[in-house]
Amino acid sequence: MARNAKQWNTPPDPNRIEWADSRIYSDTEIFEEELEKIWKKVWIPVCHESELPEPYDFRTVSIAREPVIVCRDADDRIRAFLNVCPHRANLIERRPSGSFKDGTPSGNPRNMTCMFHAWQFDMKGRCVHISRGEEGYQDRLSPKDVGLRRLRCEVAFGGMVWVTLDDHIEHSVREWVGSALDCILDPIEAEPLEIFHYHKAIIPSNYKLWHDTNSEFYHDFVHYHNRVTGFNDAYFARKNMTFDNGHVVVGSFEVRYDQYEGFESREALSFPTLPPNNWYMIDIFPGINYNLRGSALRVDLMTPLSADEVMIEFRGLGLKKDTEEERLTRIRHHNTIWGPMGRNLHEDLLSITGQGVTMRPGTEPRRILHGRHENETIHDEIGMRHYYDEWSRWMGRPLHNPTNRPAMAAE
Amino acid sequence: MARTSRGANHVAAVEAVRDTVYRACLLLDDERWSDWLDLCDAEFYYKITAYSPEIRRDVLYLDGDREQVAQMCELLPKHNTDHSPLKRHAVVYTVDVGDDDGSAKAVTSFVIYQNMLDGVNSHIDAGANHLFAVGRYLDDFAIEDNAARFVSREVRLETRRLDKGTHWPL
Ligand code: FES
Ligand SMILES: [Fe+2]
Repeated sequence: MARNAKQWNTPPDPNRIEWADSRIYSDTEIFEEELEKIWKKVWIPVCHESELPEPYDFRTVSIAREPVIVCRDADDRIRAFLNVCPHRANLIERRPSGSFKDGTPSGNPRNMTCMFHAWQFDMKGRCVHISRGEEGYQDRLSPKDVGLRRLRCEVAFGGMVWVTLDDHIEHSVREWVGSALDCILDPIEAEPLEIFHYHKAIIPSNYKLWHDTNSEFYHDFVHYHNRVTGFNDAYFARKNMTFDNGHVVVGSFEVRYDQYEGFESREALSFPTLPPNNWYMIDIFPGINYNLRGSALRVDLMTPLSADEVMIEFRGLGLKKDTEEERLTRIRHHNTIWGPMGRNLHEDLLSITGQGVTMRPGTEPRRILHGRHENETIHDEIGMRHYYDEWSRWMGRPLHNPTNRPAMAAE
Repeated sequence: MARTSRGANHVAAVEAVRDTVYRACLLLDDERWSDWLDLCDAEFYYKITAYSPEIRRDVLYLDGDREQVAQMCELLPKHNTDHSPLKRHAVVYTVDVGDDDGSAKAVTSFVIYQNMLDGVNSHIDAGANHLFAVGRYLDDFAIEDNAARFVSREVRLETRRLDKGTHWPL
């Protein structure tokens, strides 16, 4: 029966069906608070080490609106800094990637130079040149006072470059991820990996809706491909497991790729030690996803732009030692499902676009059901519930009335 | 000009190439996939590529032979796809005909507009046009009896932020 307004707005009994107030996806104040309380306090895998393979290579990104530059020093060490000039806060490097090996119009080789007034910095973030420094600052300011803001940076889990804005973060990346990536650790760490695919999407939707999609497989009803290659006993037995710090792993099974007309088994090019055609999916709090399907690894990173806009970067990785032919096969396997024209990605993105429409800032609060219990298997929404338990802890906000601050303060 | 001095067959070949490129645009615009593939040789190979300055590599977004592309198109009704039609505006910039007048290469510049139907919220967006992609078609042809057939097509995209993406050949 269709429901009237009162019925529609009566929340379900949370002891019977778990739900969240949609304002966690639409409230702009909550969004700003998430950037401060979560995104500025966690490790973010901003790129892969093979995106800056040579000394003096760099890559620019941003975390919670803060511009970040990652560069490789002559000693091969990768470091990260705010991409912000200590003089008058110009962006130091404007390109997405490149090399500092050659000079720039305002600066010398092997330095990063802020073009505006030509201050120069080395790959360790030290200021090595202030233009007409003594003339302007006399002895009041010297290069050693104006180094870049260094950021903690670690290369881990298949060569991803993890950066955090928080100097005081308690965990190393390995401690933070814990054992969530154990299921694919051997496959992704047996051999150096190399990036072969990058594209990005900006979707008018809340970032958590993308993470939700990645942490349940109930939505395989949107994917013809996954229904025909999955949906068997082994698929439905696949476990959805929770890990410390809000991470979730969707266990593996053998995908029958040949059930989709024209597709092939990925057996010949399995990642090292990964059983043929197996598929693991790991969701790292608050918006990172590792997805290993037999022959290709996909790593997604979300950059939340506003309550109703998220940028998602999609990376595809293979083994560095791949022959040209092997690489092409991996790329094809990756693209057919996950490329911008892939069978699944488009469907996933359409889905969260639709959710974004109904949860625009200012829309009526709705109850979003997170209540499927199916023995903690693939269509169980345990992954989402686990994520939001963690989210509530970080935010100090309940899921049922997330904008009601006085009620919380009164407790 | 060298081009005219090569005679009537050459002129006819250039015309045939242009005609095939433009016909293909209309068929693709109208989502007549199998009619488009009828303009293609049995050996046809299709790919969508770009250069990603982010990772400083060429990237391949999709590829397939004639049969694979046909299969992909046949399965479209089983997939959930954005309904907004894609409409091409293309200009054939250059046609280079082989010495024997039996083959040719063409470079076509295109923009593809998405004529919003779904949009984000169709109530608001439907009817608007949104620039979906910019790029070039790099085509190879076989020419026979004054008709040009695609032997290969590389859709070389400049646009790399394709947002929701698409299931359709571009
Ligand atoms: S703002 Fe960078 S040198 Fe002045
Ligand atoms: Fe999906």
